[in-house]
Amino acid sequence: MGLLSFTSIILALSALQGPGTRLTYRVRVIEPAIAPRVLASGAVSGPMDSDMRLTLRTDTAEVEALFQVTPTVGDTVTLGAEFYTRRQVGRSRRGLPLWEEDTYQRVVRVAWSDTARVYPFGVGPGPSARALRVELILEREFAGGEARAGEHFELLDSTRDVRIEAVVRPRRARIILNLVRGDTVSGPRPMDLVLEEPPRVVQLVLKGRPTTLVVSLTRPDAARSMRDRALALDADIVCLRVSQPAVLQPFGTICGHLNNVARRLPLPTGDTLAATFAWPGAR
Amino acid sequence: MTGVDGTHEQWLAQIDAELDGELSLVERAALAKHLATCSHCAGARASHLEVRVALARSAGNPHAFVVPRPAMRAGTLALWVIVALATGLLGGWFADRRWGGPGGGATLEESRGTVVVH
Repeated sequence: MGLLSFTSIILALSALQGPGTRLTYRVRVIEPAIAPRVLASGAVSGPMDSDMRLTLRTDTAEVEALFQVTPTVGDTVTLGAEFYTRRQVGRSRRGLPLWEEDTYQRVVRVAWSDTARVYPFGVGPGPSARALRVELILEREFAGGEARAGEHFELLDSTRDVRIEAVVRPRRARIILNLVRGDTVSGPRPMDLVLEEPPRVVQLVLKGRPTTLVVSLTRPDAARSMRDRALALDADIVCLRVSQPAVLQPFGTICGHLNNVARRLPLPTGDTLAATFAWPGAR
Repeated sequence: MTGVDGTHEQWLAQIDAELDGELSLVERAALAKHLATCSHCAGARASHLEVRVALARSAGNPHAFVVPRPAMRAGTLALWVIVALATGLLGGWFADRRWGGPGGGATLEESRGTVVVH
């Protein structure tokens, strides 16, 4: 019996986390009135470790939440939500708005295709409570090798500020390296780097002079701000560590989002290394 | 008339001080001299003495030389000051928690987001 249970656990977890399994957060933002009205609807999908960031803003409150799914045994998952809330609580004597910030977590266990109702402004007696509710349905599907995250969102009431985003932590990144000196730029050197893998040697040639560098991709240090940590705003930040062969002390480390923006690192040779971080191509 | 009454009031105060044992020898002599000539003050002194004897008896000490005035001791006074301060602080803290500052209304937990599974 024990062996059977253990085997079923392994099978369940492997089925949930298999490469072909996609997770979908299906979302509807509803204004509960006598006749409930759908203000926005959409879906975020991606690999099983994908998270969803939900943002709701009104004149007096801002709610941002990061939803995460942890597969458990059986037909249920643990839905965790990290909330970061700002509420306007009044005005100062100089007439400026006063806000209070709050961070907290919610964890519930849901079955696949259950509907989780999220009351982002609470359920208290205040006028803003129960002003909106978000209905969240978790689905899983087998989608072959599709590993990229996807978003679909439709805002039906444009006066509302509602947004959902997929949050995916990259396992690898496409790095394009150039050496720059004055108005001369070396040919681009694209490479796919996997996070936390051993360093790789790369040679760049500028004006016929080769420069050999050792590069490796790492994750950044934990975000300093409470909001960045709670909402995983640094999820797609990677850091490129650049050093010389056989030298322990690195030239430096460049960190940035995977957003195709070139970031520069001056080298002791007088050249400047320009590194562009991007999401890797689909496999 | 007023001057006589004022002097009389002063002698009565002197009588009180004498019974409390607070007069110097010279002041006591002067008071004794006055009492010998003023029957009104002598009567007042006797009356004061009777009241004090009655008070001493009621306090269970009929042979008391002096009747101690009700006095608050330094320790008691300090205790009351501390109690008053603590009560004030506690009341201020409670009022601040209940009504003070912005953000009143619902409790913190009620104002927070909630997830309910259906």
